[in-house]
Amino acid sequence: MSNAISYDEALKNYQPMAQREPAVEELSTEELLKQYHPDHYDDAAVTLQVGPNRGDSCHKQLADMLQADARIDEADLAGAKTRKTDILVIGGGGAGCAAALVAAKAGARVTLATKLRLGDSNTVMAEGGIQASIEKDDTPQVHYEDTIKAGHFQGNKNLVANMVSDAPEVIRWLIQQGMQFDLDKFGDIMLRRAGGTSADRVAYYRDYTGLEMMRVLRESVMNSNIEVLDYSPAVELLANQSGRCAGAVISNLKDCTYELIRANAVIIATGGIGRMHLNDFPTSNHFGATGDGLVLAYRLGAKMLDLDSFQYHPTGLAHPHHLAGSLITEGIRSAGTYLLNSEGKRFVDELQTRDHVSSAILKECAEGRGIHVGDDSVGVWLDTPGLELRNPGLIEQRFPKLLQLGKKCNINLATTPLLIYPTLHYQNGGVQIDENGQSTVRGLYCVGEVSGGIHGRNRIMGNALLDIICFGRRAGAHAAENSRRPGHKKISIEHLSSLRRNLTMSKMPMEQKGPMLFPECAKFENDSDYDGLRKHRGKKIHTT
Amino acid sequence: METQIEQLVTVTINGKEIKAPPSLSTIQALWYAGYPRVQSVGCLEGVCGSCRIMVRRAESTEVTMALGCQTLLEEGMEVNFLVFPTPTHHTYNLAEIPNSWEVQTEFHRVFPEAVNCRVCNGCNKSCPKEIQVKEGVALASKGRFQEAGELFVECVMCNFCMTACPEYIAPNHVGLFSRRVTAYFHTRPSNLINRLEVMRKGELKVEIDQD
Repeated sequence: MSNAISYDEALKNYQPMAQREPAVEELSTEELLKQYHPDHYDDAAVTLQVGPNRGDSCHKQLADMLQADARIDEADLAGAKTRKTDILVIGGGGAGCAAALVAAKAGARVTLATKLRLGDSNTVMAEGGIQASIEKDDTPQVHYEDTIKAGHFQGNKNLVANMVSDAPEVIRWLIQQGMQFDLDKFGDIMLRRAGGTSADRVAYYRDYTGLEMMRVLRESVMNSNIEVLDYSPAVELLANQSGRCAGAVISNLKDCTYELIRANAVIIATGGIGRMHLNDFPTSNHFGATGDGLVLAYRLGAKMLDLDSFQYHPTGLAHPHHLAGSLITEGIRSAGTYLLNSEGKRFVDELQTRDHVSSAILKECAEGRGIHVGDDSVGVWLDTPGLELRNPGLIEQRFPKLLQLGKKCNINLATTPLLIYPTLHYQNGGVQIDENGQSTVRGLYCVGEVSGGIHGRNRIMGNALLDIICFGRRAGAHAAENSRRPGHKKISIEHLSSLRRNLTMSKMPMEQKGPMLFPECAKFENDSDYDGLRKHRGKKIHTT
Repeated sequence: METQIEQLVTVTINGKEIKAPPSLSTIQALWYAGYPRVQSVGCLEGVCGSCRIMVRRAESTEVTMALGCQTLLEEGMEVNFLVFPTPTHHTYNLAEIPNSWEVQTEFHRVFPEAVNCRVCNGCNKSCPKEIQVKEGVALASKGRFQEAGELFVECVMCNFCMTACPEYIAPNHVGLFSRRVTAYFHTRPSNLINRLEVMRKGELKVEIDQD
């Protein structure tokens, strides 16, 4: 019954061919997703018991974190240093940097706290590019319609309309920060097509778009008067007497102390959740993508959206094992690369939306047309040799990062296909925001992947980099304009009392502490270097 | 997930002897052996520049620089993770350069040390991306910023070359300056400019379809 074969056997059978028959797909997108997309796994979602989204569906691993106990209590803050600023930005990726730069330029005093180093983020890893409708046959209206449709009509129309209308100005702002794009011989921006869209709209710099963006934004921040606190993850938000967000508590990983940062506005830009490894999927995400901002915002009462909707990128590397989950850019499919099953046949329109293509891959593997490595890895072919036959030299010219990945795998992409399998890539939902990035909690903004409502239940390539810069800039400008207010009289973490009361009343376990901060593999929770930031059986151990 | 049975190799990382499969990177090896590792970890794909290591291979006296996530274990290898250096002292603001005729003047004001390059090759040798760093610095010093910037396409700002430079040139920042001025003064795409102009006139407004 099963045509599943081993990697070695499949490789022996594989013949590079320029042309192959298009796929005949038997299921509609809706049916395909329902049967094979991980969001629809039987036990994937639970109902939230406490907090602003009580009663809503949420992925069970994320629910555990949203309903976890806090890492700190009042006693931890006794004697903690306090710092004051107008605007506190939490997160040092593209969204955080854009927000900080715009707010600082508008004259606000800005402090940016980041868990690792400035620029350590998913932004730096983005490959595909950034969407902006600038081709003559394309319009913001078409960009809007593509985005809404790809999100299965669940996106917030107002947010999407604002984002697509900002897009050309966003590209200009990036160029003014010193970012380069690939240009044609006339100096025009070159554009490629995202899966599931109707025009060439993705601007890019090789397959290093995110790296180019991030090194430029980092340099821009470092050459400004923005105060940067690195190795400083936020562990709790602060509020004033009326519940307005009034800053955050950060834990300083260098000297293992807590610090209170009083601010008139807080902008959370902490990114997504890939390193929670939902449903045990590998991830393309950065080491720091542990969903901290979601937890902080939820505890202070911010409403969330679509917490059961995640993106699995179709082309994660499946072999060799130590690189599993590494991302292969959608640009390669956009350039015309086919996906093949163990029979050497195409099984999906490769330029369909990501959720569709991923589900189709999972279907092939489930129905025994996958290629197996040992007992625990399976995947399908990404037919780069076919692309090389149709477009000699294109891979080398346009995809230097992919070429590097091939070298690391000891695979010559021009003659040997890569084994791929979907990888956990993006959180479609997140904190509900308005067009200025404001959450439902006053004084609290959320921008970038941590926010929700823009991409509906599926995001298209190039809309993430656009989202982070567009809403980062909007939040920065809005926060700066509204940050000239008298300081807060009293700031506290009193919201944790009601959290703990609610958890107890709902009979929720209190062992789990959140936010997660670091992936399990890093063993942060038993790293003796950080004892100062932890409690042991209720008794705090002091180091130094 | 289980790995296939592999011969383990013995390596020394930060002074700790570790036995681990050779298919692991130096970071994965620490985790595999049960040692925590939080700092100096980033994208794990070789583009963030966080995991700076010094490596000495068995039977060799040579010490090389590398990225920890990109370096697989080899028998007898010695590895030390390096802390990230303090930021460079060079500061500049693109908006304060009056026009593209003044870029070279501004460059020498911001990076006065660049002309002192003694061609020691420390930067090239320390670069984990095999960038021709010193050649880039020389081009930038002559005002050939576009060419200089092209050499730094792969630069992940790991700052190894900055650490290696005895003249405190901060070569990676020279490379990034070269790239940024090229975009800031010379990227003028007519397709983008035309679209901005049309939109400035109030055309191409998005109509939100109400259900």
